Amino acid sequence: MRSALDKKELSATELTETYLENIAKTDSKIESYVTVTADIAKEQAKAAQELINSGKSSPLTGIPLAIKDNICTEGVKTTCASRMLENFIPPYNATVMDKLNAQNAVMLGKTSMDEFAMGSTTQTAFEKKTKNPYDLNRVPGGSSGGSAAAVSARLAPAALGSDTGGSIRQPSSFCGVTGLKPTYSRVSRYGLIAFASSLDQIGPIANSAEDCGYLLNAIAGFDRHDGTSANRAVPDFTSKCGQGVKGLKIALPKEFFEEGATDFVRKTVLAAAEKYKSMGAELIECSMPSLKYAVPAYFLISSAEAASNLARFDGIKYGHRSEKGSTYGELVLNSRSEGFGREVKRRIMLGNYALSSGYYDAYYGKACALRQEIRAEYNRIFETADVILTPTAPRTAFRIDENITDPKMIYYSDICTVTVNIASLPAISTTCGYDENGLPVGMSIVGKMWDEETIIGVTDTFERNFTKISAKAVK
Amino acid sequence: MDLQTFNQIADLGKLTFSDTERDELLHDMTDIIDIMDTVKNADLVYDPLLDNKNVFINELRKDKAETSFPTEKILKNARNMNNCFVVPKVVE
Repeated sequence: MRSALDKKELSATELTETYLENIAKTDSKIESYVTVTADIAKEQAKAAQELINSGKSSPLTGIPLAIKDNICTEGVKTTCASRMLENFIPPYNATVMDKLNAQNAVMLGKTSMDEFAMGSTTQTAFEKKTKNPYDLNRVPGGSSGGSAAAVSARLAPAALGSDTGGSIRQPSSFCGVTGLKPTYSRVSRYGLIAFASSLDQIGPIANSAEDCGYLLNAIAGFDRHDGTSANRAVPDFTSKCGQGVKGLKIALPKEFFEEGATDFVRKTVLAAAEKYKSMGAELIECSMPSLKYAVPAYFLISSAEAASNLARFDGIKYGHRSEKGSTYGELVLNSRSEGFGREVKRRIMLGNYALSSGYYDAYYGKACALRQEIRAEYNRIFETADVILTPTAPRTAFRIDENITDPKMIYYSDICTVTVNIASLPAISTTCGYDENGLPVGMSIVGKMWDEETIIGVTDTFERNFTKISAKAVK
Repeated sequence: MDLQTFNQIADLGKLTFSDTERDELLHDMTDIIDIMDTVKNADLVYDPLLDNKNVFINELRKDKAETSFPTEKILKNARNMNNCFVVPKVVE
């Protein structure tokens, strides 16, 4: 796409118009976008073309992108797919948006998600409950389901999502695209509406690992507005693309293949491991015993942080304001109760419960101990391995009419992804096969801290030797 | 989770529920806490000193006054009057 724009084979305006037409034609079925910013996109494309004409383009100049609706965009509604922020118009841009604008990228619109990024289906959205482009009766995953579905359905060439416990990787797996969760601190969280601040990270979703690398090149780096962003050099994240995997040591933690996956997913991901072996990589068996505690540890930590982060929504400064309540306390109580959906309320309740006197040590304290143990187990594995290979999700996309509000079923669907956030590591998901219904199976490559180049390179090697099948549901 | 605990936690979260919502959520919370209870089986103790060695050092801005957003821009998302947020009367 970059090459075609620079060679003037197509203009930024033509490219943008094509995607806007696709959205107008198809998105009523998929419901991936909450807001389509057609006018802004056309203006940005025009400005981008002028830069291209003057030979001053950057890697993302004129490239249309979709943005998850929890990333603040100045002057454009940012709803978090919640009634609470239904009419919220941010007075500032998230740092990642400033970085994209500095390269004159084009924003097509804001994509749907699970409410406040809490969920794995995009069905907890207040509106626009996104469908899977491979089968409209199935979920796209979540919480960045809108971004993944938009890329999968060719309604955007790439998108930004956010990942707190798998919210980029799991929908990428379900929708047959590539999604990267960077190392915690690699990308500024300034302007990302907070869910769990020690776990949240913005990252790219695209059609290839290499494209994810180009996007990460644009959005990574220190930001003085985010005290947790890392002040370290930003490398070229695509530098290991095309280099192969000869001599690379790939670890396979047995628990992910035992408790963490269905038979078909296990076989498909193990077949991918064998393919790496045939390309010169060495496979290493290893163990992560604490995986059995990962889901509750993750939900305790993330819900405790969410309960604190969401305390700011009081209906006074911004967000939904109830018409009921004659006192300050009643107004806050009614605004929050009307503004938040069921899943968000469950997480606030769980978070406050875990942090309450009498329960703190038994729940939150134990979850923090497990966080230390999970980090230590990853460190031990990385003493002998370069990367780790696991399934991205235990199964392929499930049907919308399954029992997707059952917490046991939904929470354990995150088992393959949450440890990466707990340990602050980078990981990328790509498609490695298709099940009997034609649904994509995702595998994840987990890397050492700050080593996104390697996982992008390793994934790129697989993708160059794998034939993808595009989503059919929207054709 | 018993009803008394449920009500206390709801109060902490500034949430109120209809009877139907409360019954559904109470059922959900019982299931969720069953899942969370499994962490009690982990024979581990949190070591704050370990976190002190491993956590990122936050790079904070210098503590000096800077120009922030214009008041009128911030108030655009709120019910406001005379450059102030409007709240219910709290003082008689």
